[in-house]
Amino acid sequence: MNTEVKLHPSTELLNRFVQGELVTGKSVVVAAHVELCESCSAKAEELQALAVSSWVDPGNVLQPDQSSAADYSSTVARIVTYPQIKSEPIEDLVEVDIDVLNHSIKLPKVLAKAASQGLKWKKVPGGISEAQLFLDNETLCEFIYMAPGCQIPVHTHQGSESTLVLDGSFEDELGEYKTSDFIIRDAQHNHQPLSTEGCLCFAVLDSPLKFTKGLARLMNPVNRYKFKKAISRVA
Amino acid sequence: MYRNYAKQDVINNEVGLTVRLAAMNTTTPSPDAEDSVVSDEALLIAVGNNQDVDAFNQLFTRFAKKILALGMKLTRNEQLANDLIQESMLNVWLKAPLYDLDKGSAKGWIFTLSRNRCFDMLRKQKRQPNCISADDIWPLESGAEPTMVHEDIAGQQVELSVIEGYFDKLPDSQRAVVEQIYIKDRTHEEAAAHLQIPLGTLKSRLRLGVAKLRNMIGVDQ
Repeated sequence: MNTEVKLHPSTELLNRFVQGELVTGKSVVVAAHVELCESCSAKAEELQALAVSSWVDPGNVLQPDQSSAADYSSTVARIVTYPQIKSEPIEDLVEVDIDVLNHSIKLPKVLAKAASQGLKWKKVPGGISEAQLFLDNETLCEFIYMAPGCQIPVHTHQGSESTLVLDGSFEDELGEYKTSDFIIRDAQHNHQPLSTEGCLCFAVLDSPLKFTKGLARLMNPVNRYKFKKAISRVA
Repeated sequence: MYRNYAKQDVINNEVGLTVRLAAMNTTTPSPDAEDSVVSDEALLIAVGNNQDVDAFNQLFTRFAKKILALGMKLTRNEQLANDLIQESMLNVWLKAPLYDLDKGSAKGWIFTLSRNRCFDMLRKQKRQPNCISADDIWPLESGAEPTMVHEDIAGQQVELSVIEGYFDKLPDSQRAVVEQIYIKDRTHEEAAAHLQIPLGTLKSRLRLGVAKLRNMIGVDQ
């Protein structure tokens, strides 16, 4: 656990995470950050405790909480015929390492599980490699590796992009981002990420990104195509 | 928390409780109204340890509408929300033996189960790939160490001699287990081997014994 993480998901996002309201891709990127960040892990627990209190508050129940045992008696009768689980299932520990330049990076558990069926890396222009994960039909989820000195063309996002830094660092006009930082970018931000030392990230986009300068703009139809393909792949 | 129960019930229960406590002649500080109804935790432990169908029925009654509300909020689909009640309560039944007080409140545990089942139901309905499930995203705290109890007790600054007094009041079988784990610092596996009982039996005796001790010490749960 890293205690010196600077950038975190907002309280609102964490709250939606613990309530189960986020789509799978977003849930996974937030869960991975929570796994790495002590303060968000504690905060998520507090938020969940609040969610539970509000959940059991009789004021929030749909109808008056009258005795409904009768309505469910056949369900109960059926359920209690199942044999119970007596011991903690032994978890298959999935470990996935990603090898970069001169070392390997152990993924947070939730990402290791998501990536356990294997990653297909693709080189894209500019020293960048990407490997997509197919988690839901609303987001584009990918690992992005930026080689040292590489730069992504100026772009903006039509929706939002959540990025978790897994190793190394990168910077843009708005700041510098290090391991375990959680960054949200949306349409207000026009940025040009640069990584001096190299960087591995996991990013979740809920709409295609859009390059805003130079020849890279020619890539926009490709970005739109890639996004559409990612979300339709699982539909 | 039963703060929200009708006032009349609370009064009735308080009266009943006073009588019961007097009869038991315990030294426990007078409990507030929250203890006057069988706690969710006690019900859940009864389901887990004794396959207590009555206790399960009570839990069902207490939580069905809440699970329905959660399902409606997350799926906006009445059919799915109704399915969620069955799905979640089935999981409560199946996994009840894995619950113990170190996993926190019963309502928190049931919330986690219900939210996770709802998430997976929605994923299935949207035909999303199953390379990941809700339990990977919100890992259930597995193997929560009973050492937490040590810390709780230390935090309460209870005299050790007092605890020893309470310890002697435990039934033999539970005392033997608590002694193995807390006094001899053995692992669950070692203790089960030493006492020649199955691991599951050891865990449930430990759970019961610790719950009793906590109750006697008056540690908030």
